[in-house]
Amino acid sequence: MKGVLLSGGTGSRLRPITHTGPKQLVPVANKPVIEYAIEDLEAADITEIGVILGHKGREEIQELLGDGSKYGVDITYIVQGNPLGLAHAAGCAREFVGDSDFVMYLGDNMLRHGVSDLIESFKPGEYGAGIALQQVSNPEAFGVADVDEQGAVTRLVEKPDDPPSDLALIGMYVFTPAVFDTIDDLEPSWRGELEITDAIQTLLDDGHDIDSHVVRGWWKDTGKPEDILEANRLVLEDDHLKREGRVGPDAIVEGRVALHETATIEDGAVVRGPVSIAENTVIESGTYVGPYTSIGPDSTLEGVHIENSVVIGESTIQTSGKIVDSLLGRGANVGRADDELPEGRRLVVGENSQLKL
Amino acid sequence: MRIITHTCTTCGTVVSANELEGNRVMKCPGLDCENVLRFADLPQEDRQFFLEHAEQYKL
Repeated sequence: MKGVLLSGGTGSRLRPITHTGPKQLVPVANKPVIEYAIEDLEAADITEIGVILGHKGREEIQELLGDGSKYGVDITYIVQGNPLGLAHAAGCAREFVGDSDFVMYLGDNMLRHGVSDLIESFKPGEYGAGIALQQVSNPEAFGVADVDEQGAVTRLVEKPDDPPSDLALIGMYVFTPAVFDTIDDLEPSWRGELEITDAIQTLLDDGHDIDSHVVRGWWKDTGKPEDILEANRLVLEDDHLKREGRVGPDAIVEGRVALHETATIEDGAVVRGPVSIAENTVIESGTYVGPYTSIGPDSTLEGVHIENSVVIGESTIQTSGKIVDSLLGRGANVGRADDELPEGRRLVVGENSQLKL
Repeated sequence: MRIITHTCTTCGTVVSANELEGNRVMKCPGLDCENVLRFADLPQEDRQFFLEHAEQYKL
């Protein structure tokens, strides 16, 4: 079985973070989201992976993943260009996939337990496709599957007013090569895209059985800033965190803290885990780093109180204020204005930024 | 919808026809690959099909 990892898209819901890079490279617990997907595929013994690239971040994604050897996989890059839909992306992988079955994984999605269960549930020769589902409280916002008692899918409905179940399609699929002929016959939807739900529905209509697998544990689409924060919280909650850096004798460090060997928590700082602190970052005296916070590389924090936040990296934060529930892009700096007149906040804010002051 | 792709003979990167047609002549998007890809590299039948259905391949 091969893997097809979708890494296109504009990342519009993550602006301004994605003005300068693809959404798949936004870090969660100091690791780019796409690396979790690569590791999930490798853990499922899928070592031939086609990475679909859109317009944004082609070079950055290739620079990060390379030929895949550092992850124990072999990567082929497939340039989709225009984002013409998930089924179009799958169709671009036809030559790469050949006669194999394949897993299609959305590169900005994260699954606590990976894709191994989905693959094990899928029996080659028995099903035309397999889909991953999860129970959601708002199925009308998703593609929804109607499933019989054996777990076989009987119908798919996209964002239904009257959902037949609470089982939403999440971004993981298993396909046989039969899907490519189906995609050949698809027409673009009203939004001009080839929809993967249309491809699966066509497989159903053509008499193929579709397997379903309700995933255990959490699943997260990291498309929005609040999703990144929640994914960061979920990963920090689960991860084994190694404390390897230097901690000053008069610093207070409680709970689980991942501290890179080149990072430092200085005397007078307080860090309360779960927290991740990346390479070459310094937490200075008078700083409080609270639970569910990831501080990226090459950053300095001085005097700030920060929690439940992600600092992507290369930042200097010197304010005496409190920062909570925040996502700070690479190179974002926060200074103090305590001694400046007139009193007030001084901002240089990029397009599409969101602030609550 | 017929999906047409071309594979770079130097690095193996796969490029969709809409990308090739949009640029006509382009450096291969594979990192560090210096190969030049052309829409004209596609078979005549693929090129003709693409051009006759070009609207489908645009957003």
